[in-house]
Amino acid sequence: MIQASQSGLKKNRMDWALLLAVLVLITIGTIAVFSSVAVLPQQARIIRTQLIAIPFGLTAFLIAWSLNYQIYQDQWKYVYGVILLSLVAVLMFGVVDKGARSWFRLPFFSVQPSEFARIGLILVLANFLDKRIGKIRELQTVLGAFALCLPVFLLLIKQPDFSAILLTFPVVLIMLFAAGASVFHLGIIVGYAFISALFPILWTIITLNPELLDSALISYFFHLSDSWLSAGLFVLAVGAAAWGMWRVSVKFYANVTGIYFVGAAVVLMLGFFSGVMVKNQMKEYQQKRLEVFLSPEADPRGAGYNLLQARIAIGSGGILGRGVFSGTQSRLGFVPERHTDFILAVVGEELGFWGMMLVNGLYVLLIGRIMQGARLARDRFGYLVNCGIFGMFLVYFGMNFGMLLGLTPVAGVPLPLLSYGGSNLVATLAAIGIAQSVYARRYALT
Amino acid sequence: MIDRQIPQERLELLWVLAYGAALVFTLRLVNLQVLNASHYREIAEKNRTQVIAQAAPRGRIFSSDEVALATSKPSFSLIYFPSQERTGPEIDRMARAIARPLGADYEDLRKAIYKSTSREKPVRLAENLPSNIMLSLSELKAVYPGIDIIVEARRYYPFGAYLSHLIGYIGKMDARDWASRSKDKDYSMDSRLGKAGLEKMYERELKGKDGGIYLEVDSRGKLNRVLESRKWTPGADIFLTINSKAQAAAEEGLEKSISGKGAVVALDPRDGKVLAFVSMPDYDPNMFVLSGSEKEGLPAGKTLPEFNVALQGSYPPGSIFKIITAAALLESGRVPPQDTVRCPGYYDAGSRIFKCWDKKGHGPVDFINGLAKSCDVYFYVTGQRAGALTIEKYARAFRLGKTSGIALPDEKSGNVFGPGPRAAKKSYWFIGDTLNLAIGQGETLMTPMQAAMMITAVANGGVFYRPYYVDRIVKSDGQLFYKGKSETLSRVELKDTTWTLIRDGLRSVVSEGTGQAAKIQGVEMFGKTGTAQNPQGKDHAWFVSYATVNNEPSKVAVAVLVEHGEHGASAAVPIARAVIEAILRPELDAAKAAAAAQKSTAAVVSPVPAAPAGPRLPAMPAVKEAL
Repeated sequence: MIQASQSGLKKNRMDWALLLAVLVLITIGTIAVFSSVAVLPQQARIIRTQLIAIPFGLTAFLIAWSLNYQIYQDQWKYVYGVILLSLVAVLMFGVVDKGARSWFRLPFFSVQPSEFARIGLILVLANFLDKRIGKIRELQTVLGAFALCLPVFLLLIKQPDFSAILLTFPVVLIMLFAAGASVFHLGIIVGYAFISALFPILWTIITLNPELLDSALISYFFHLSDSWLSAGLFVLAVGAAAWGMWRVSVKFYANVTGIYFVGAAVVLMLGFFSGVMVKNQMKEYQQKRLEVFLSPEADPRGAGYNLLQARIAIGSGGILGRGVFSGTQSRLGFVPERHTDFILAVVGEELGFWGMMLVNGLYVLLIGRIMQGARLARDRFGYLVNCGIFGMFLVYFGMNFGMLLGLTPVAGVPLPLLSYGGSNLVATLAAIGIAQSVYARRYALT
Repeated sequence: MIDRQIPQERLELLWVLAYGAALVFTLRLVNLQVLNASHYREIAEKNRTQVIAQAAPRGRIFSSDEVALATSKPSFSLIYFPSQERTGPEIDRMARAIARPLGADYEDLRKAIYKSTSREKPVRLAENLPSNIMLSLSELKAVYPGIDIIVEARRYYPFGAYLSHLIGYIGKMDARDWASRSKDKDYSMDSRLGKAGLEKMYERELKGKDGGIYLEVDSRGKLNRVLESRKWTPGADIFLTINSKAQAAAEEGLEKSISGKGAVVALDPRDGKVLAFVSMPDYDPNMFVLSGSEKEGLPAGKTLPEFNVALQGSYPPGSIFKIITAAALLESGRVPPQDTVRCPGYYDAGSRIFKCWDKKGHGPVDFINGLAKSCDVYFYVTGQRAGALTIEKYARAFRLGKTSGIALPDEKSGNVFGPGPRAAKKSYWFIGDTLNLAIGQGETLMTPMQAAMMITAVANGGVFYRPYYVDRIVKSDGQLFYKGKSETLSRVELKDTTWTLIRDGLRSVVSEGTGQAAKIQGVEMFGKTGTAQNPQGKDHAWFVSYATVNNEPSKVAVAVLVEHGEHGASAAVPIARAVIEAILRPELDAAKAAAAAQKSTAAVVSPVPAAPAGPRLPAMPAVKEAL
């Protein structure tokens, strides 16, 4: 620290570049939200919520920034408890909106606890990884991290809020990766997740192309999940195949540890079971989204139509845009969810290419500054917290942009700071405040 | 740094991931917003606008004396656009309210409105509203927003069937029209277009540019605001060479004739302008304006009389062919015009007796008399002398077997009869064929248009002009778009003496021969009657004629064919006379007035009220000539 002050480094307590990026993004977002809701019936409520959320969010930012982040490490048990309690409470007292019981209704606004739970989980996980850093290359640590997340995931499934899981899972992976976990272990996890996702996808593909059922093998595969007997037989067959392959490799004196075969079989089986579970748990609209991703032409008036209209909106903006409050696609209601998940369509239409590039650039700046905070953090916990927040923004950024530009599936992911959503804005600003707290205390002992 | 046991390079890897994503998004945005912006802009525009097209008034069609033969008149349509979220009962109530003044079926209206609401497309509920209904509907407009009355232009033919074969008619598109025009932005599924005649040939010029009301709608088709009300551009006006009075005279005459069927073609011998053009039976083109297809517009059980007698009807020319024979006789040099032939009423060709049309016989007949009395025996005898090949040659020179080239579809070219075509068919030519050829019977066929071309050539000294009927096309901004031009097709070269003799003969046809009914005071008339033998029924009557005033170049030549009119003299001659009189009347009246004025100035003291009706009116040019 002495060294730092001697070398003339400025000890900024505040990362002004990050703050500027945040404020500009909020401004663009607010304008876009106002423009897009101009013709909606719930216009007044949305504008009111947005105007309440901004000061709330900035306050949360300031508090999180001024608070020493190390407090979260000390009090991680309370943080974890509050997360779980709020998620349990929302299942008991929350209200249902869009098919999910994930809202607390308060007199003036609603609160979505899962938004805050995600940040809490990052803090708890950072603490866990910080403590276990010596054993980070062991599988138990990786599994332990996921075990820590499991209650949260289960509560989210119960709501059900799949997109929250979809957003949190990569963040956990990124944190583990940044903490130095074995790539092989992460591979196992990814493989497991991949297989869990693969089975529902394969089944959906078969549903979309019924002629494939003519083949007896595919037909058998399709009906695997119908009865426990066939599912059990499949699992036994997988186990037998793994054992057989291990025996064969022994016969040929191949120096392969048996654990790989066991691991592969276990991952395959677990993935299969999760897949069956996911498939049976999937809501109809989620099934639809998956179908649209796999074949966008199948339902021109459904989710594919939405995506197409959003793309038309972005494309029609051209280089300079059609001017604020003059986008026809978004204002006349052709773009769905235009004030939340598809807010970029409004930006693209009204502000054009330069507006999109501004958002794109500001996001890269924002992510870069959070990462800079991680790099400069004075302790490992701070580093891990910032990595988690960095991962969260990266996932949001990638998925929202990717969805709009037709590169990833339509997942119902908002773009923080731009999309309308009070809880999301407050939680996002609080997260940035925490990241700032790490940055601000890079040299300090307290 | 503090011992954190953490691999910084992993952070760099994640950082690269973020940069990579931003780069990919940039490239994709360039593709969407820079390279394909106009494409997406177009789709966005289509998304938000809906158009209620308003048909532009078609160009008008005028006669040469500027009588409107086809115009447009305003027509009011009741449209509905799904402007508001409506509930079922509201729509039902509205449909009931509209149905009463319209006198339309409530169920049909209701269905149309429901369909429009579910498809989010405006619909025309009624077209061509009468003014009294409009009044009660405009009251409803205030009560039920979403219905509106728009004005459109509708084709109207003031004279009905008048000139119908030339003008044609318009109607709704059928599948074939649509296939060829679906990409044309000026046409929509319910536009109307020319189906026949001028309306079809000059569709592009007559069409104009449709206007429209451009509405901005939201994603549910709800009306947001009116973007623009684009005014139409009317189509170009076409001025025909048709003389409306002559046309009216021809139509009236033919209609009143024995059969009411036939054709009249009047041409201007100076340049080939079509002055009158009638084909009967005809039809009223107004019938088709509102209907989809020809069949819908016609009364039940009727077929459209699309057959154009003037161009497509091929008839034996009968005695009018004697004009060609006469030219052949004189040009051959083997028949001196003063030579007489004695006509006992028949001619003995050896194997067969050929009759003259007048059984009593004409006695001694020379060329002029032969033509004037149309004596068959004279032509039997002299025709053999001149030879069948000579007659055939002149038949071809007078453009038999060739179309006139008028800009109308499916014209027939008649048939040339003679040794040439016979030889081509590897058959024999007999004396009897020569006799038939000479008097225009046998296999010779002529269309009324060809007959008109023939008499026109006689009138102007052998020039065949391509007949044309469009004098000029004037765009709606007054700019001259097209000007009809005279075009010479061919000439028939005859000696001056031949022309003089033929004309003398044709003059005596009117003055003392078969065509005396054509006489008009103050006009020198030339003509030839004809009777075309018709094995299926009564003979067809022909009359070809032209007229001059004061030895000026002839201004009108006319061919009349009355189907089953029997004798040319009784059926066809009065029609031709009426046509010629209608064309020359203004000139005659002017001459008369001038003469009267001269008289009154010459004798101020004792003014004579009117010029005495004499065979020759002293007209101004005549006086000049005398001086």
